[in-house]
Amino acid sequence: MSKLKVAIVGLGKMGLLHSSILGIIPNVEVVALCDKSFVLRRIAKKLFKRSAVVDDLEKLQNLSLDCAYVTAPIPAHFPIVNDLYSKISVSNVFVEKTLASSWNNADQLCALSEKNRGVNMVGYMKRFSVTFSKAKSLLEENILGELDSFRGSAYSSDFANINQASQGLSRGGVLSDLGSHIIDLALWFFGDFKVEDAVIKSSMNNSEDEVTFKVRGSNLTGEFDVSWCKENYRLPNFALTVHGDKGTLTVNDSNVIVESSGKKPLILYRPALNDNVPFLLGDPEYYREDEHFIKSILNGDSAEPSFRTASKVDYIIDKVKKEA
Amino acid sequence: MSGSGKKLLLVGDNPFHGISHLSEDRARARGSEINMPDFAAKLVQVSLENGADGFMFSVSETTLSILRTLRKNMDNNSPLLYAIVPYAYEYVRLATHLGTVGLARKVAKQVIFSANLRAVGAGLKCIITMDPKDILKAYLLYEVSRIRSAIGKSFSLESIMLHEVVTEMIIALNLDWLAKSYIKYVSDLGIKPGFETRNFAYLVDKFQEWGIDFKKIVITSAFNGAGFQMNPSKEICEAALTRVPESNVIAMSILASGYLKLPEAAQYSKSLSNIKGVVVGVSKEQHAYETFNFLREKFRD
Repeated sequence: MSKLKVAIVGLGKMGLLHSSILGIIPNVEVVALCDKSFVLRRIAKKLFKRSAVVDDLEKLQNLSLDCAYVTAPIPAHFPIVNDLYSKISVSNVFVEKTLASSWNNADQLCALSEKNRGVNMVGYMKRFSVTFSKAKSLLEENILGELDSFRGSAYSSDFANINQASQGLSRGGVLSDLGSHIIDLALWFFGDFKVEDAVIKSSMNNSEDEVTFKVRGSNLTGEFDVSWCKENYRLPNFALTVHGDKGTLTVNDSNVIVESSGKKPLILYRPALNDNVPFLLGDPEYYREDEHFIKSILNGDSAEPSFRTASKVDYIIDKVKKEA
Repeated sequence: MSGSGKKLLLVGDNPFHGISHLSEDRARARGSEINMPDFAAKLVQVSLENGADGFMFSVSETTLSILRTLRKNMDNNSPLLYAIVPYAYEYVRLATHLGTVGLARKVAKQVIFSANLRAVGAGLKCIITMDPKDILKAYLLYEVSRIRSAIGKSFSLESIMLHEVVTEMIIALNLDWLAKSYIKYVSDLGIKPGFETRNFAYLVDKFQEWGIDFKKIVITSAFNGAGFQMNPSKEICEAALTRVPESNVIAMSILASGYLKLPEAAQYSKSLSNIKGVVVGVSKEQHAYETFNFLREKFRD
């Protein structure tokens, strides 16, 4: 079986992470890396001696690529993915979250991907966490009965006590950076919802640092609280608390807790949820999402979250910004 | 590493950085006292007085302050020091603020403006060559100089270990030349080179393929009865351990991030005859006293 030829576009920390994991997954070969930075390209040439290291997407044209990973900053996703489909003829594309920096652009990329009929996926890696997967399956088993409401939070200390804008703001603001994960999880758990009320606060120059908003689904209401200025959140923390007529479920990266009246709480810790992977780099979720994408290509299946699924997150982010 | 066959007990620094893998809420609930170098140094000292042989730490301003305090309080009785570089969290946070290229520039400036002449020379060389081997050497010199400035001549650095993120990239990308260059360079500094990994079995396979001498390096990896972070599986990691009896393997995550109790953890660690030591974090004085007395009795003796 010939190996899938992969290109990585964007050599930041996510580009290095995915290229390392792809080096382990069977039947995959990273044949090219692309980045605008001269420094990163020079270092990459020494680390990836068997791969082409280029500064321009057009130089990927003659490599007969099977798929590409887009790990550049969010504002660059739209032009890069557009070129990959239209100029380089790559049909299978993985994009780090978010798909684009606006819903309009995300929708155009969905249309392009559908025209190309390849496998496409966005890196919402929290779907591959053992705790969030377990919580979803418990909810599908109706453990809480009729769902009533939920609260989602995404916090980090990335910009706590920082009063000036930094390069990190190119990540697109806290909603795209942190909030997109918890919005994606909520859409995955509960289906579509409408944004009703939103507040955006800024701690740095015109940046989007703290966001709260309320949503309404077909049978439940929800609230979100997102901030990258929280103290004591050394690592990003994502959590969902779900209320139903039979009890409450709380899930985060560490555990799942189900509380029902009159019963002892059910607590499932991550170490008890079979969290091992063939190769761990960063978090196990990264290996699982890369494996899912590659297997989908090899088996001719579709991958989730697809561009179309993930574009709903871009839609919600746009709505929150309009409501605020 | 102890050549006497005596099992090593090391106190780890995770709680001092606000880490609890079992529950982030629990880490936050510990309060800020544990992040204060004087309090943390006291915990390390209590651990050392109750059976710990040394301290394993990521090199950060917090842990360097702990070392300065320990040096003042401990006369010349040097604990075994195992340093892990880089302190990944600090660098990921910097990359968030500065971007990857901005991070590279900042680290290069730190190395070049450090007072260590060898580090400055190596730093200038790596800017010219952009060779990962030269970059790693300059960075290691810089970190070793920071540690030595904190510990003075009274303490000695037993081992410097590559953080798991770097180790995993080396083995994933087949960078045998970088691993060998690192081992030689650190050995030439009179320090034992080490690797932290959460892919123990994969690392053993790669290092055997590359002909790396396991006697000359230290490996720190997760070993616990729950199989937590023993990738790809507990059984495969245990089997890999039996293939390298000559290795210096220190078990971390023996409590599976708090999921297991200490007696169970000690029993499991003791059952792995090729484990040369364990590293455990503590967050209270009483905890330090109980943990290391227990491990001394049930794991080491």
